[in-house]
Amino acid sequence: MSDVVAQQAEETEPEVDLSIADAIIDKYIDIPGNLMPVLQAAQDEYGYIPRAVADHIAERLNVYPSQIYGVLTFYAQFHLKPRGKFIIRVCVGTACHVQGAPRIVETFFDKLHIGHAETTADLRFTFEKVACLGACGMAPLAMVNDSTYGGMTVQKVDDIVADYSQRPLK
Amino acid sequence: MVNLTIDDKQVTAPKTATIYEAAKMNGVNIPILCHDKKLKPFGACRMCLVEVEQMKGRQIPACTTPVTEGMIIRTATPDIVKARKMVLELLLLNHPLDCPVCDKAGDCDLQNLTYEYKVDSNRFSDEKFHHEIDYNNPLIERDMNRCVLCGKCARICDEIVSYGALTFIDRGIETKIGCEFDEALNCEFCGSCISVCPVGSLLARPFKFKARFWSLTKEKSVCGYCGTGCGLTLGVKDNKILTTIYDENQGFHKGQLCVRGRFGYQFINSTKRLMKPLIKKNGVLTESTWDEALGLVAGRLKDAGSVAALATPRLTNEEFVLFKKLLDENVGTKNYDHAAGYAHSALTEGFVRSFGTSASSASILDIQKSDLLLVIKTDTYETHPVVGFEINMAVKNKGVKLNILSDKRGKLSKLPDAVTLVHRPGSEVALLNSIAKTILDEKLSNDAVASVPGFAELVSALSAFSAEAVADQCGLTAAAIKKLASDYASAEKTLIIFPTGQAYTGHNADLASAVANLAILTGKYGKEGCGVLCLSEKNNSQGAVDMGFYAQNGGLNGMQVLDACTNGTVKTLFIAGENPLTTYPNRSKVKAALDSVEFLVVSELFLSETAAMADVVLPVCSFAEKEGTFTSADRRVQYFKPAIRKNVQIKTDYEVFSDLIARLGGNAPASGSAVFKEISEGVPGYQGMSHVALKKDSAFASVVITPAFVIPQATSAIPVEQGKLALVIGSALYHNGTLSQYGEGPMHVCPEGYIEMSHSDASANKIANNDLVTVSSATGSLQLKAKISTRIPAGVVFAPYHFSDSPVNTIWSGSPVTFVTLAKR
Repeated sequence: MSDVVAQQAEETEPEVDLSIADAIIDKYIDIPGNLMPVLQAAQDEYGYIPRAVADHIAERLNVYPSQIYGVLTFYAQFHLKPRGKFIIRVCVGTACHVQGAPRIVETFFDKLHIGHAETTADLRFTFEKVACLGACGMAPLAMVNDSTYGGMTVQKVDDIVADYSQRPLK
Repeated sequence: MVNLTIDDKQVTAPKTATIYEAAKMNGVNIPILCHDKKLKPFGACRMCLVEVEQMKGRQIPACTTPVTEGMIIRTATPDIVKARKMVLELLLLNHPLDCPVCDKAGDCDLQNLTYEYKVDSNRFSDEKFHHEIDYNNPLIERDMNRCVLCGKCARICDEIVSYGALTFIDRGIETKIGCEFDEALNCEFCGSCISVCPVGSLLARPFKFKARFWSLTKEKSVCGYCGTGCGLTLGVKDNKILTTIYDENQGFHKGQLCVRGRFGYQFINSTKRLMKPLIKKNGVLTESTWDEALGLVAGRLKDAGSVAALATPRLTNEEFVLFKKLLDENVGTKNYDHAAGYAHSALTEGFVRSFGTSASSASILDIQKSDLLLVIKTDTYETHPVVGFEINMAVKNKGVKLNILSDKRGKLSKLPDAVTLVHRPGSEVALLNSIAKTILDEKLSNDAVASVPGFAELVSALSAFSAEAVADQCGLTAAAIKKLASDYASAEKTLIIFPTGQAYTGHNADLASAVANLAILTGKYGKEGCGVLCLSEKNNSQGAVDMGFYAQNGGLNGMQVLDACTNGTVKTLFIAGENPLTTYPNRSKVKAALDSVEFLVVSELFLSETAAMADVVLPVCSFAEKEGTFTSADRRVQYFKPAIRKNVQIKTDYEVFSDLIARLGGNAPASGSAVFKEISEGVPGYQGMSHVALKKDSAFASVVITPAFVIPQATSAIPVEQGKLALVIGSALYHNGTLSQYGEGPMHVCPEGYIEMSHSDASANKIANNDLVTVSSATGSLQLKAKISTRIPAGVVFAPYHFSDSPVNTIWSGSPVTFVTLAKR
């Protein structure tokens, strides 16, 4: 597991273009209670909230950097590390669990060399276990971004990884 | 007032009180963990649960619930006690019981409540936390394993300090108090968070394993750094000062302290303190006896015509009077001064001309009662941090408007809706005059103003200062100046605040008169929340002025004394505690003067670089080893007694002066209180004061104002030297004068001088943070570490002046703006 952690993308946070953040802030600057929408819009643009963006938002909105971090860590919707282009979510809720979700999860771990809530070094995949996706009839269930894959098998994991590995990153 | 019943007792309380406050006022103590009277109610810990008959069956928090008429409250029913016990059980579930090694033991709210509620067993069990303890800074230890999440640290850092270093991070059971990105604490280290922490999560590291809390004697004193006049409680054991102790009821500031006050006490028990008189023999300072040293000094003082003296504004009022008596009566010289002569000119010349008194017309207490504050220089926060807290609270809690005129931005600029006009360095007076001109033009002045002496002349003299005319010189727009003028004039209560000090040569008599003109024009003085507050630099700067220890009646002032040393007219110079070699402008000139003077006596705590040049060095006491009175910047007179016994080998300045008076054949007053009696009889405003009365409570020396307009001199823009940067010097937050260099706390967080510059000037000179930079001016060059920040405008650089190892006066000759070049080493 330690190798995998070492491969994590977090160590090489790329230079971020703050002009994108500036454009977002300019739009919301005069609106009271603007911190949440600014952070949400920034995450939409950057895919996550880079440190430099958090600090820049703090400076421009005149909010303490600590408070921004408080907000970012309170809400599960915010991410502080770069995320993959393809977010693989595997349901581990009750129905999926009894239908073999743990094996599906393990197979993804083996194939991608990453663990839960981690991202591949090439920023292609992020893997997440989720509690319930609300489609228990299709158990065991996986999702890649907005596409749903029901009745998952170990073979299907191979197919999904192979399929998305060929898709362009840009 | 409303009537209510608390624990079957009929009581009354103000309408705005909470149940907790109403109970407290009436002698009923409700336990609290997360509540602090200085902070907004929070209601997190549930310790203060009470029952209110009207809200049947519900247990409600006393700290957040306001009282209503007829409320029947019970604070200690069996159900309530049971609930509180449960709260404690749940807190103790995760709180480590490492009280034997916890510095908080004995002063811990959680420990005390656990004891009070007899929680000797726990029905639950759970794992303790395993958070890493933050040992990354030398002053504040953060052990989040002990945290009970009361949030007081985060709230005080926001509501009063306005730094926001701490906040709740993460969620649910993982929630903890942390900094941004869960990094190590790196803040201004005022330690306010330590003072309110109810458990041992936040501790003063310098005090770790020094003593148990209950073995300390608490000695009340007055802080010996800046002119704010904060009360200080010192924790003493075995005649050593081991820590400062928080007392939420102490002083106007309710126990709030800055980094210097809280962590800067180590100089008192420093091993570097001078313990024996030194006499220069064959060019080397050699240990000697008091008799020999004072005999030598007394012999030199007999030659009246050639004696001069400089004193630090850290002496007590009694010592100033005695020193003055020695010089006036027994020596016979008028050549004495303090603070280089110019640092008090705002008071002794400016305010004397404008208000007829050498004191401020407002107090620190007016800050929160005002409607609009006009602060000259954001440095006000750095020079007087606890006054800065008052400004924070006024703006954040009371909605007071804040306008700032400054040559750089600063922490105050970040307060909600603060307006900062960043002007060119050195253009303050022109800017203030143009505000006065605008007030006149827009007919915003007070109706009665025409009868104030000098009005007609002022009107004509101001004609040169229209906003349009000075806008360019200040680097501002005329519209911004006009807006500021109308804001100032239209607010009902306005207070102008400006710092003075040896680093602020521009904050002189002209600036004081220019701000006074504004206050007089609009009639905003002499009433609550209005006036002009001059924040003088040191703990007894105002006292030095009040005692008259400055050049008067033809005596030489501080800078003239040095000139006279160089040209040989002054042959004996007595320096009591000043360190001119580092703090007076133009180091080479100061050095030449001290080299030339035949006989130099320095009384000091430490062998400062000035003392090292002396012929005789007299070891004297700090404030903690003597008694006396200090007068704060807003003229609050405070008595303090020795917190520790002085070493038998050293003397107080008071003893030195009385000994010298006796040796010169005079009669020294019997005691400090006898001297103070003379003060109360002779110094305007001190009438009726005595040591006995001041021991009970401090008192304000009254100020009588006789307004007069001072005609502004024509000003011209300081010519910009092409390709050079404008150096302004000032105070760093962590320091005050040069004394704080011996306080370990300040030196841990700000150990050396630096040059602060904008990103654009840094990149133009290819300078990165912490690069060593050679700063060169017409008078010399100096190497300083670069500090790049967003608060400094392009074309301006800032350097603090406190450091003996990097003395800024090698490149600064006393002008408010010095043009320099930077070169990366």
